Amino acid sequence: MELDCNGSGILYGNVISEKVKVNGNGRFRGNLEAQNLSIDGSARIDKNLTVEKIKISGKGMIGSRVKSEEIKIQGTFTVSEDCEAEIFIAESQFTIGGLLNADYIDIKMFGECKAKEVGGQTITVKQKGSSLVGNLLKSFYKPQLEAELIEGDKIELENTTAKIVRGNQVKIGPNCQIGLVEYTEEFLWIKRPLLLKTERFN
Amino acid sequence: MSEELISKKDLLELAGISYGQIYRWKRKDLIPEEWFVRKSTFTGQETFFPKEKILERIEKIQTMKENLSLDELADMFSPNVANLNYSKDQLIRRNIVSTAVVDFYLEHEKGSLDFNFTRILEVFVLEKLLQSGEINLDEGKMVLQVLKDHGALIKQKSCELVITRKLGMSSCLLLINAEEFHFERGTKVVTALSLMKCMEEIKAKLL
Repeated sequence: MELDCNGSGILYGNVISEKVKVNGNGRFRGNLEAQNLSIDGSARIDKNLTVEKIKISGKGMIGSRVKSEEIKIQGTFTVSEDCEAEIFIAESQFTIGGLLNADYIDIKMFGECKAKEVGGQTITVKQKGSSLVGNLLKSFYKPQLEAELIEGDKIELENTTAKIVRGNQVKIGPNCQIGLVEYTEEFLWIKRPLLLKTERFN
Repeated sequence: MSEELISKKDLLELAGISYGQIYRWKRKDLIPEEWFVRKSTFTGQETFFPKEKILERIEKIQTMKENLSLDELADMFSPNVANLNYSKDQLIRRNIVSTAVVDFYLEHEKGSLDFNFTRILEVFVLEKLLQSGEINLDEGKMVLQVLKDHGALIKQKSCELVITRKLGMSSCLLLINAEEFHFERGTKVVTALSLMKCMEEIKAKLL
């Protein structure tokens, strides 16, 4: 079953479909459940989003939780509560009100990124910017990832502000402000980030 | 049943698991969300777990991981069993009940020969208690009545069936989400059966 929204549409109630495509503006007042969701434009889901594969080119706003296998975002992504996936790849700006929980997290920031907590296996956060425009902007605007807690097995951070970072192999790059790093195997820092404390446990 | 808590950090070390694993098991609902307890410590907000429960669950996951996928494991631990339906013969064959006990059950309950999960749980509990010799047939009838009367509550997670005896008189209680229970000295606690554990045992036998 396929649901195509071209232009502007509002759906009241819960939607269950195989494929959902929003080209333009879509508003789902209830829960949305699908195998595939593709947003080219703007979509707002008032309650829970449960979709295997999510692809957003534009804006996605979710009022409750997101549960997915694969999330790929270019644009803006806002989730009020927790966001869970196996793969989370964002070249974007996002705000997650709860926990971002994914096995593989790859973030390239194009704007302020915020999550209350981040947890997973491989977490990589980089500042996007090898383009000319990116480099020009870099001097005025350094978007940060802000999180209270980041925990994972292999963590590599740039431009991140976090109170606590915990992992096995932790690499802290430029422009980071971290309150405390706890690592079990390896800790590497590059370009002297603002770091208050490190501790090793093994 | 007072809960001793263990911090996430200590747990990882004690159980020999990694952050990636704990977050994965959380996503797959192998570890219920209620078990993630947030508390304030001097470093900020930290997560703790009920120590005994989580260590037990992790051991189960690690043992069964070899044979089952994470999704199949999740089905094992979830209380969601709406679709199970087995016949009396299948239950006997799968070693869930003995013929004697299931006949006793049907004699008093007068239901059909097709068992949904609620009835499978009832007959399984009966089987456990009667076979172990902890209760006699009359007490069995009493257990059945309690289970039937309050069956809807069993769907909640933490349910315990307690049978007591004092001066030859037996009684049966269904405790929901109870932390502890204490009786006066003259009362003997014959058995305290966790219904959650029974459900897991049944599912393990059916898998």
